[in-house]
Order: sequence, then structure tokens, then C-alpha cells
Amino acid sequence: MTEQKTETAPQAQPFERHMLEALVCPQSQGPLSYDAERQELVSRAAGLAYPIRSGIPVMLVDEARQIED
Amino acid sequence: MTDQTQRTTHFGFSEVPEDEKAGRVRGVFTSVASRYDLMNDVMSGGVHRLWKDAMMDWLAPRPGQRLLDVAGGTGDIAFRFLGRAGHGHATVCDLTEDMLIAGRTRAEAEKMEGSLDWVVGDAMALPFEDASFDVYTISFGIRNVTRPEEALREAFRVLKPGGRLMVLEFSQLPNPMMQKAYDLYSFNVIPRMGQAIAGDRDSYQYLVESIRRFPDQETFLQMIRAAGFDNARYRNLSMGIAALHSGWKL
Repeated sequence: MTEQKTETAPQAQPFERHMLEALVCPQSQGPLSYDAERQELVSRAAGLAYPIRSGIPVMLVDEARQIED
Repeated sequence: MTDQTQRTTHFGFSEVPEDEKAGRVRGVFTSVASRYDLMNDVMSGGVHRLWKDAMMDWLAPRPGQRLLDVAGGTGDIAFRFLGRAGHGHATVCDLTEDMLIAGRTRAEAEKMEGSLDWVVGDAMALPFEDASFDVYTISFGIRNVTRPEEALREAFRVLKPGGRLMVLEFSQLPNPMMQKAYDLYSFNVIPRMGQAIAGDRDSYQYLVESIRRFPDQETFLQMIRAAGFDNARYRNLSMGIAALHSGWKL
């Protein structure tokens, strides 16, 4: 789960930032922060980073990357 | 959570470990995504359109409302809702990315992208804040959820006070003779049509089996009440081939 996503999928569709206001982490229901470079939504509370693929946030715990800090 | 791996659930008529169901359902819908709207037309002889119209009639969308459409796939319900509301906002949430991408393409074509958001998410663990929507819809989706009770609890959580739940799902015919005839049709004809049109018999076999496994109207009504909804009712469509269930978060 620590592998880095290096391929930059065709990001023709940008993530709509306004969506951040409506979304929470499905596991912790805590807030998310947007990592534009990695195209991820990060939940500090859950220690999970949810991928954004072709502009669509993938808010599934199974698909999230575990983060350590 | 440790007994999770031993627990099984139904996948059509097969028993599968609970934690595998979501992935399998996603597999079904990924494999049918591109032709899904077309298949719905063919499978129901276009009748699903009338059912969705009936859903909108009962729902009576109002301007400015915020809709969450779960298992919303390509956005069919969301587009209808926005059309009726005049203006409003819809969030389409689905397990399958491909379906959402197809829907977003349509939204762009119709210059409606500003009114719609597309999110991959699980009905049992919605990625939305409490009390954030006026309306929650799920159309032909709840029978694919591993634990529908949890999806209903999540629906209750994300609805605002005064918000409304509306579920459209295949159901059971109250008349046993008619149910038998319908079963013969659905088990023999639909998987073959799935093969012919989408080149995918197994996925449509699953769809048919899952329809037969879903609780009947009264049982599902009790589930809606148990999740906290008030004033819960249902209406049969096409004599019970499908049913609409409605409930309010008061």
C-alpha cells in the first residue's frame, strides 16, 4: 500500500475544488484536504489518502492509500 | 469486525463472503457500464422510463433542492430531477467510476456540468456530512448493497431534517401466478438478452437473481421505518414488478 502512484493519468478533467466542502472521509467523517500534486484527498484522522481519478474523487476505504506521518 | 470474513451474503443466488460483494457488484456494473442505459430500455421494454417518471411525480422536485442520488450510475435520475426542479444541484454517487464518467460526459454535452457532482462512494459509508441533502434517491441500486439497512441509516444521516428518501427498486408481484410467469420470463429471457446486447450473460443472470432475492414491499417498508424514517409508504408500479418507497426524516 506504500507504492507511489507515478503515472499521471490523463488529467484532462480537473478536480472541482468546491466539492471539497461537501465531502468528508467515509471512515472517520472528518474533513479532507486536497493534495493537488498527488491528486488525492487526505484524511488526517483516518490516515488515508483517497485518489482522484479523471477528476472524480474515489471515496472508498479499499482504494485509499495509507499514510504515515 | 473480526467475524466479517466468516460472514457471507448473497450475490444473486450464490453465497459469497460479505467483503467480496461490493467488488463483485462493481465488476458487474463495470462490465455493463457502456451499454447500461440501452440494456435498461431493452430489458424493461422502455417501462423503466415510466417508473422513473412515476418516481419524479411522487417526489415533485422543487427549485433549489439538493439531491444525492446513490448508485446513480450515469445520472439518469439526477438529470430527470434537475429537469423537473428547474434549478438545483445533484450529487451522483456510485461504486463504478466508468458509469460516472459516462454520466459526466452527458452533463457536459447538455451544458449541465455546473449543477452536477460525481463521486465514487459506498452507500454504506457515504463520504458526505450529516444533514447535507434535501432529497436522497436510490434507483435500482439498493438490492446490490451488501447490507441495505446500513445504506438506509446512512441515507437518514445525510438528509437534512425535513428531507426525503425515495427508493425505486424491483419488487415482488403480489399474485403468485403472475410472479411465476414473470420469473419464467426474467430467468429465461433477460440473461439471453444480456448476452445478445451487452455480450455478457453472467452479469444479467446476477441482475435477475438479485431482483428475486430482494425483500418484498412490506418487509422493505419496515426496514425504512427501522432506519428512522417517518410517514413511510410505498406504491407498486406495473403491479409490483417494481415499487417506490418513500420516507421522511422529520
